[in-house]
Amino acid sequence: MASAANTNMNSVRETMDVLYPFVCPSVLLEISRLLNTGLDMESLSICVRLCEQGINPEALSSVIKELRRATDTLKASDNSTSQG
Amino acid sequence: MAALDQKSPNVLLQSLCCRITGKSEADVAHQFQYAVRVIGSNYAPTIERDEFLVSEKIKKELLKQRRDADAALFSELHRKLQTQGVLKHRWSILYLLLSLCEDPRKPSTRVGSYGSVFAQALPRDAHSTPFYYTRPQSLSLSYPERSALAAHNASSMGTSGISSLGMYPLNGPGPGPSPQPLLTGPQAVADPARGTRLAWALPITGAAPLNPRPTTGPTPGPTSSPASRLPHRQRRDGDTSAEISEAALVRDILYVFQGIDGKFIKMCTPENCYKIDSKVPMCKSLRDTSSRLAELGWLHNKVRKYTDSRSLDRAFGLVGQSFCASLHQELKEYYRLLSVLHSQLQLEDDQGVNVELESTLTLRRLLVWTYDPKIRLKTLAALVDYCQGRKGGELASAVHAYGKTGDPHMRALVQHILSLVSHPILNFLYRWIYDGELEDTYHEFFVASDPTVKTDRLWHDKYSLRKSMIPSFITMDQARKVLLIGKSINFLHQVCHDRTPPGKIPPASKSADSPKDAAELFTDLEGAFQSKIDAAYFDTSKYLLDVLNKNYQLLEHLQAMRRYLLLGQGDFIRHLMDLLKPELARAATTLYQHNLTGILETAVRATNAQFDSPDILKRLDVRLLEVSPGDTGWDVFSLDYHVDGPIATVFTRDCMSHYLRVFNFLWRAKRMEYILTDIWKSQMCNAKLLKSMPELSGVLHQCHILASEMVHFIHQMQYYITFEVLECSWDELWNKVQQAQDLDHIIAAHEVFLDTIISRCLLDSNSRSLLNQLRAVFDQIIEFQNAQNALYRSALEELQLRAQYEDTKKRREEEGEWGVTAEQETAENRRVQDFKDTIPKMCSQLRLLTHFYQGIVQEFLRLLMTSSDESLQFLSFRLDFNEHYKARDPRLRPSLGATRGRRSSNI
Repeated sequence: MASAANTNMNSVRETMDVLYPFVCPSVLLEISRLLNTGLDMESLSICVRLCEQGINPEALSSVIKELRRATDTLKASDNSTSQG
Repeated sequence: MAALDQKSPNVLLQSLCCRITGKSEADVAHQFQYAVRVIGSNYAPTIERDEFLVSEKIKKELLKQRRDADAALFSELHRKLQTQGVLKHRWSILYLLLSLCEDPRKPSTRVGSYGSVFAQALPRDAHSTPFYYTRPQSLSLSYPERSALAAHNASSMGTSGISSLGMYPLNGPGPGPSPQPLLTGPQAVADPARGTRLAWALPITGAAPLNPRPTTGPTPGPTSSPASRLPHRQRRDGDTSAEISEAALVRDILYVFQGIDGKFIKMCTPENCYKIDSKVPMCKSLRDTSSRLAELGWLHNKVRKYTDSRSLDRAFGLVGQSFCASLHQELKEYYRLLSVLHSQLQLEDDQGVNVELESTLTLRRLLVWTYDPKIRLKTLAALVDYCQGRKGGELASAVHAYGKTGDPHMRALVQHILSLVSHPILNFLYRWIYDGELEDTYHEFFVASDPTVKTDRLWHDKYSLRKSMIPSFITMDQARKVLLIGKSINFLHQVCHDRTPPGKIPPASKSADSPKDAAELFTDLEGAFQSKIDAAYFDTSKYLLDVLNKNYQLLEHLQAMRRYLLLGQGDFIRHLMDLLKPELARAATTLYQHNLTGILETAVRATNAQFDSPDILKRLDVRLLEVSPGDTGWDVFSLDYHVDGPIATVFTRDCMSHYLRVFNFLWRAKRMEYILTDIWKSQMCNAKLLKSMPELSGVLHQCHILASEMVHFIHQMQYYITFEVLECSWDELWNKVQQAQDLDHIIAAHEVFLDTIISRCLLDSNSRSLLNQLRAVFDQIIEFQNAQNALYRSALEELQLRAQYEDTKKRREEEGEWGVTAEQETAENRRVQDFKDTIPKMCSQLRLLTHFYQGIVQEFLRLLMTSSDESLQFLSFRLDFNEHYKARDPRLRPSLGATRGRRSSNI
């Protein structure tokens, strides 16, 4: 599954590169870095795609944050359980 | 790639979930479902789709984190993005990035502090810098997530999803103790404010623990959420059919504040005021409040219009420009306030509408906050109205007039404007009083210069005061001094060609005073400004007088005028008259100037005049007046004194013509004295000779009487002219000149001197009749001289003939013949008889002359009596000291009595 996701991501990245040859992806990436959003290349390209399809960015951002928080919590609990 | 592009959001979402959580697709099922729910339920964005706004927010955010360089970098990147134009929803992606943004300095805080921001949101003073409070940094989805997590991961408590806030800390320690404090601490405070929004964002979960109160009872979600949503929607959009909400009005008003028409409040041009669309339904109090607020927009427009129209007008001048600049400054403060209000409004939009209780912008709040700015704008508008069409010093006066108010705030405001406005004037002033330069292209300064005036009239005509341009805070006296200072400097430069800067005068660099100094100087009239002007005035004037006295011998020239033109140098005048007598007795047409000049030089060389400085003697000259037929040399002769250069400023052309008139009069009077001396001399010489002719004694006696009458008259006249007119006036003049502080004083004193002389010498138009009588007296004297000369001539001839006859008789007798023959004796007797016959004729001629003369003198006395000048009345007493004429002329008595009566009544 992970490999499938990886290939998927790779394809996404490729398409990004093909699709937006002029948006030097670095532009958005740079902005993202400036703002310290913590998005990597793949996530960013997915987000761009979603936004381009008209997804409400407000909702999207909340989703991303929640996902992160969930991951954090999980990791923390994992750590605690592993330690405990 | 099209396929990829068309990939459904769900697929993308799933990959995103995988990516972020770092798990496989299967593991993220929960998260994915959750994400789909959230996204699906919030398809329509609640924020404005404005890329610019979002980018501005990002910049603000960066600035807030004190990353100015990054903000600049961001603008650059954003511009790049815009130019590429591939993305359609740029705002969207930017917004997303912004939402995810975190301040690197406090990485762990994911919670924005709401606090009671609005309590001190707007500082009262519009001058202070805007107060930006922190934005909420994350719009987190804490509750449902927590519950979801609890359900999904820990599942230890088996919560129903309706976990309350109050319960959460209780069941927190179960799943994981370490992260809990991170989440609970700050959020517990902030949550009440956020709850409503969350409810709206996640209606599907049905789990809406909205209540700030720690209630444990399950609240029915579907019923509470629409209730809370509805008013917000109305509030935000303001397009509902019923009434316009206040928020919409606030937005409108903020536009109106800047002079832009709002949706409902529009400028009504015919009535020149802002009006609320009458069709729009609105409650009355809102309508009233907004029209009160709209006044601000009107005032702003007024001030704005003035500055816009004037700032491009170059002819408006420097003072006007600085007035506009000061208005701009004030407007800038006003705009700053507006931007604060705008950002407030923006913030409300960002946060949603959940903070309305104490912190939203309401019309009432606006009314309070804009109270001070409104008063300021009102003052500015009134000022603008009042200053319409004024410029330069006039403008400064107008502003100054507005500073006379009891309100300290207004006074400070006007004072500030005044200091800016008066700064250029002060600069003009300093340039003028220290350098004598007038750089007033737009005619704003109160000293005006006439470029057509030549240097010889520089002092009198070139510079003048523009009365209307004198600012009201400068007194007339100061303005005159200022004018005089600059004029003196220019006079020194251009007429005296003296470029050395007077020692004590401070250098011109002082003029670089700041506007603040300007205000201080102008308000502190008694102190620094006055003393500065006084010092400059004193130094410059003193220096100018020194230069005139030392380099140009002004005082010496003044004395020379008196000695030569006013006949002060007695020996010289007498000698000149002696020398000129034969020349001047001839007809005026036969005179030649060069002859007379030669005589003049002889006279100078022979008398004390030779010890005068050559500069003065060089200027002395003869001048022949215009010749009219029948004139003798006496009528046209005149002395002249050439003046040029700086001293011509004192001895102007007018002055010189006055001098010539006075000289002419004095010369005439002097000549009368001279003639009478001659008459007396011949009387003395002939008295003995004619003793032998007793028949003549009567006539001679008459002659003597008339002559002494005339001598008395002329002596008194001379006394009057010399002592009462010339000496007194001269003494006054000399004192004034010695005390003079500036050239104007000298000029004024000199003019007064000349005027006094002219009027006392009966040369002005008021005493024309007196002068005519005096002329007639002079004519009688000349006539008398002629008559007496004729008398003496015939008498002496007769005497000689008689002596001849006696001689012949004696010689014949010695020879022993008959002394006389009968024929001879009869012839002799007839001749003597003839001569005796002429005596009565002479007598009658003399009597006639005496009669005429006395008539004229009596008329003259009568005129003197009635004249208003005291010294002339005294002259009449002196002339008629023994009341000789009064006894003869009854007309003199009543007039005298009348005068006395009038005088006593006056007393």
